[in-house]
Amino acid sequence: MTDARIEIPRLSRRHVLQGGTAVLALAALGGRAFAQANNNGWERFEPVRKLIGETKPLTNGLSIELPLVSEDGSSVPLVVRAERPMAEGDYVRSIHLFATRNPSPEIAEFEFTPRAGRAQVETRVRLNESQTVIAVARTNKDAVLVAAREIRITQSGCLARTDTYESANAMQTRVRVAEKAQSGSPVEVLTLINHPMETGLREGADGKLLPQRIIRAFEVTFDGQPVFKATLHRSIAANPYLRFFVVPAASGTLAFTWTEDTGRTAEHKANIAVG
Amino acid sequence: MTPAALSLWAGFAIGLAFGAAGQVSGFCLNRGLRGLWVTGDGTKIRAFALALAAAIVGTQILDGAGAVDLRQSIYVGTSFSWLLLPVGGALFGYGMIACNGCGARALVLLGQGNLRSFVVLVCLGIAAYVTLTGLLAPLRAQAAGFTGTAIAEGPQSLPYLLARSAGANVTRFVTAIVLAGLLAWFAFAHKPFRDSRKDVAGGTIIGLLIPAGWLATGWIGNDDFDPVPLASLTFIAPIGETIQYAMIATGAKPGFGVAVVSGVFIGSLAAALSTGAWHLEGFPSAGRMARYMGGGALMGVGGALALGCSIGQGLTGLSTLAFGSFLAAGGILLGARLALRGPLALPAL
Repeated sequence: MTDARIEIPRLSRRHVLQGGTAVLALAALGGRAFAQANNNGWERFEPVRKLIGETKPLTNGLSIELPLVSEDGSSVPLVVRAERPMAEGDYVRSIHLFATRNPSPEIAEFEFTPRAGRAQVETRVRLNESQTVIAVARTNKDAVLVAAREIRITQSGCLARTDTYESANAMQTRVRVAEKAQSGSPVEVLTLINHPMETGLREGADGKLLPQRIIRAFEVTFDGQPVFKATLHRSIAANPYLRFFVVPAASGTLAFTWTEDTGRTAEHKANIAVG
Repeated sequence: MTPAALSLWAGFAIGLAFGAAGQVSGFCLNRGLRGLWVTGDGTKIRAFALALAAAIVGTQILDGAGAVDLRQSIYVGTSFSWLLLPVGGALFGYGMIACNGCGARALVLLGQGNLRSFVVLVCLGIAAYVTLTGLLAPLRAQAAGFTGTAIAEGPQSLPYLLARSAGANVTRFVTAIVLAGLLAWFAFAHKPFRDSRKDVAGGTIIGLLIPAGWLATGWIGNDDFDPVPLASLTFIAPIGETIQYAMIATGAKPGFGVAVVSGVFIGSLAAALSTGAWHLEGFPSAGRMARYMGGGALMGVGGALALGCSIGQGLTGLSTLAFGSFLAAGGILLGARLALRGPLALPAL
């Protein structure tokens, strides 16, 4: 099975430059459209207003990638990205994600350090109905960025998931990261833990509510130094998947810890050789 | 290339093979049943039987060997609707006879220049999405909820039911070999079929494309972090999905079904062009057009309710030996029978 798998290409400066140029070109072309798209309704959404406070947020520089239409609200791919420097003195400290029309709007909070290299996370979320997804980023200098994106959720019986979750392999973890890296350039890290992310809102076969059971926290360190942290809520899809970046200054070990709301933890380690 | 992209290309290649084989051999359940019950030509139905035999054996080997897990497919759930599967199947079967071919056949015919099929496909795709995610979706979901049933606890398919009393793989292969043996015997006992190399080859190739489809999604597409949903050849939702994808491709990713549908069309087009079979055809009359539009819509609604068409349930579904697929396939046969013989029969084309 493994021979069908392909190594992830390492990110080179050329890629970053190309990507950056493309983004700039797009921004120039579609600046107006972006400004409009970034402006739908976060002002009227109480949890976001509370989080932002009196600060006047920027509506540029933060983006959410979501499909326009999704046929399976139980697992919608989402990328959130802040196009900001991640330097020691100026970096994105956190990104909060909200689903405006879910039973509880918080999706997740991500915390970065400059060691992450990029303020970018990919995950999969649960969306109850068509709605607006909002992201709020905050830099270490307390600048606030906000982005919003609308998505239509349709229902599809063909894709309905069975309501039993095989708990035999729960808490099993998977991590994929390039074993070799160049000093100073961001390395992509893919992580996944098998977990039902039981919302506490769903009925089991016997008609009783299944108790809530979710992965609450995820933490990554590189040789003991914090890199990335995530606080997850029940709007994160089952088998929480997180893709993010790390900049290894020298060879070292990435350590991952997942913590369930019961207090149970799972750990994983991966080595990166720099050179 | 990522596993997801590889899986898409594999789907496209499988579609090409299906389109070419279908175009050259004239593989068609509608023609098979019409031959069996009306005109007395028994070769096409035997090509379908042979395809089913090949699909069952190939698929059960894959599941038995652990290459794919059929419990992840939509056919082998923990419950199935005793109402929607046969009723949807019957609507589909009736519609299939009304427009002289199922959804997959319409794609193949479109490839060889038959514009009637274009009308059928558009009606089918839109009706399917109306039922899956549109105006009729809430009704369908409610009906499915009320009529969900299970024969015994666990995965709803023959191998998993029988595995309760004996070793899983022993009973699985005995079941698969008995069923496939009966189908192959039915096919090869007929001399005209034995002598028709095209039909034997067409049936075998199309049957083997079913396990190939399982492999493309469940094995090639089995990325640790982003597995492709397990599926094989099916045409109702994918025809609708292809239309939808063409319209809103920005920000969306094409699914396996879109790759297969495009492949079938191009495969058939290539085969028709290279054999000189390509020529444009339209409707002889407005009445005929209305009949084809109604048939296409019936196939869309029925196929969406039954979770598949003559290929999606008739071959792919049955290859998993899921209880629901037997119900749906029975419904398709019943609907086709009603359209061919008896008081509800449609006039011959």
